[in-house]
Amino acid sequence: MALVNLQYYAQLREQAGTGSEQVLTGAASLRDLYEELRARHGFSLDAASLKVAVNTQFCAWDRLLRDGDTVVFIPPVAGG
Amino acid sequence: MKRFAIATTAIDPAALREGLRDPGAGGFCAFEGWVRNSNEGREVDGLEYEAYVELAIAEGERIAEEAIARYGVSAAHCVHRTGDLKIGDMAVWVGASAPHRDEAFRACRYIIDEIKHRLPIWKKEHYVTGETSWVACSHTYREHEHEEGGHPHHGHAHHGHAPAAPFMPDYSRQMRLSEVGEAGQARLAAARVLVIGAGGLGSPVIAYLAGAGVGTLGLVDGDRVDASNLHRQTLYDARDIGKPKVELAARRVAAINPSVQVRAFAEPLHAGNVVETFAQFDLVLECTDDMRSRYLSSDGAVLSGTPLVLASVYQYEGQLQVVDPKAGLPCLRCLWPQEPSPEAVGSCVLSGVLGPVPGVLGAMQAMEALKILLDLPRPKNATLALVNLLDNTIQHLGMDTTAGCAAHGGCTHQARAALRRAQDQREMDLSFHSLAEAVAAGFQLVDVREANEIAALPLPGVPSRHVPSGEIAVHAQVLRNEGRYLLICASGRRSAHAVQRLRAEGVENVYSLAGGLAALSLRKAS
Repeated sequence: MALVNLQYYAQLREQAGTGSEQVLTGAASLRDLYEELRARHGFSLDAASLKVAVNTQFCAWDRLLRDGDTVVFIPPVAGG
Repeated sequence: MKRFAIATTAIDPAALREGLRDPGAGGFCAFEGWVRNSNEGREVDGLEYEAYVELAIAEGERIAEEAIARYGVSAAHCVHRTGDLKIGDMAVWVGASAPHRDEAFRACRYIIDEIKHRLPIWKKEHYVTGETSWVACSHTYREHEHEEGGHPHHGHAHHGHAPAAPFMPDYSRQMRLSEVGEAGQARLAAARVLVIGAGGLGSPVIAYLAGAGVGTLGLVDGDRVDASNLHRQTLYDARDIGKPKVELAARRVAAINPSVQVRAFAEPLHAGNVVETFAQFDLVLECTDDMRSRYLSSDGAVLSGTPLVLASVYQYEGQLQVVDPKAGLPCLRCLWPQEPSPEAVGSCVLSGVLGPVPGVLGAMQAMEALKILLDLPRPKNATLALVNLLDNTIQHLGMDTTAGCAAHGGCTHQARAALRRAQDQREMDLSFHSLAEAVAAGFQLVDVREANEIAALPLPGVPSRHVPSGEIAVHAQVLRNEGRYLLICASGRRSAHAVQRLRAEGVENVYSLAGGLAALSLRKAS
């Protein structure tokens, strides 16, 4: 189990109803974590249309989770 | 007597000349300004003058009075046109009558020079290439400034207004910065910057870059001002509703800083012209709310080697990214390789936004632009900045330059492929107001929908053949031989796909109805 800090932007923030939260997760990878959160919050976007960053660095979806990671999911936005 | 007028129809010089007759006048001199067919090497096929009428009349009257006082002429008059003018049309008429010829010549010259310099009149040139450009009428050489003493120069102080000082941009507050100085200001004056989108992000961008003295500003926007824009698009006001943004923005630039040359593009850029357009600028700022435009700009920046400052907003937050192909900075596709669907990305219309959010992000874009143009220090690492205006944080997320496009042939490869796809699509997609119009244009209609869809919504009163999109390849041979075909479905997606398949089989005479039947019914509704 890993305790991770999550930050949400744009549609994800709206759908989660919060900009950040801390979760204890059994998910091994970022992809698993997102699927777990998606089921919980009902996120409309799939992982393929998002970018993920851990500890302020963009990274691949198969990266393994570590205790204390700060994870940010970022959808592209187009408003102007 | 009124000595200055704005005319919306052709000027009649004979009548104006008669109006200046005076028993004491021994000479009359007139100057006529005509529309010519070129300007600064570009072929012009017409132009349009627009004036801030109240101010123009007041100032024009003052100029004529100054000329009379200054040179002691008997009478002087000037008329300036507004509206659409063709080559050869008279744009301005100036006349003066005086006891002696010299005063009449000088007064004429004074009036035309001051008019060009001081009046709030803008000229929009229509080029033979189809482009247009707003040109502020200023920066004239003014003969009378170089006159020697001894003329009745001192007299004008007793006759009301002194001539208003011509506008000289004052950049002292920014030139005082040791990193800017004269050299920096000269760099700005020589810079050509393209701003795509004159909305919430574009408003601060355009105002700051004009004020800073960027020499040439290109403005791209195909929209008109809507009342719902005004809470965030600070370039406009309530009187502007319904007017084209690009023209209003061009006028705003001329009002902020008449020394800025504006190039206005009233149509969005497309895959066919984005690279060549970007190549004419030193820097591009993408300020639209349109995902397709953002990807097009990213591809255009990569292929033309032009740096690009991207920003976008969502509710209370925004994203900022600088794409600089020459500096090896990743492009938009490095982050999100494919353009996401419109439903996935949200918009100001659907999601809502507070006005200052694009204001802050646009100001940040303008700041990045000035830093790039002035070569000021800026982060060298590839990052996406996430700006959250609820908790006032900016997060810089570092990008791995070996991931993204680099893992798939590189940004250039990806951009070229994407532009080719968009270009093919552009050429295959045709828009019509009605199916009857397509038939009249010589197209045979092919309905590629399923039988049940057709039963529910048959094509209205036009002949068509039915080939479900899944079976299109079987009919390639038949379609190859006769006429031109327009494939039709509900949304334009299946028909576009079917056209792509047919083209892949070498069938060139097939096209897709852009937007499908949905687009037709939308047109009917509006």
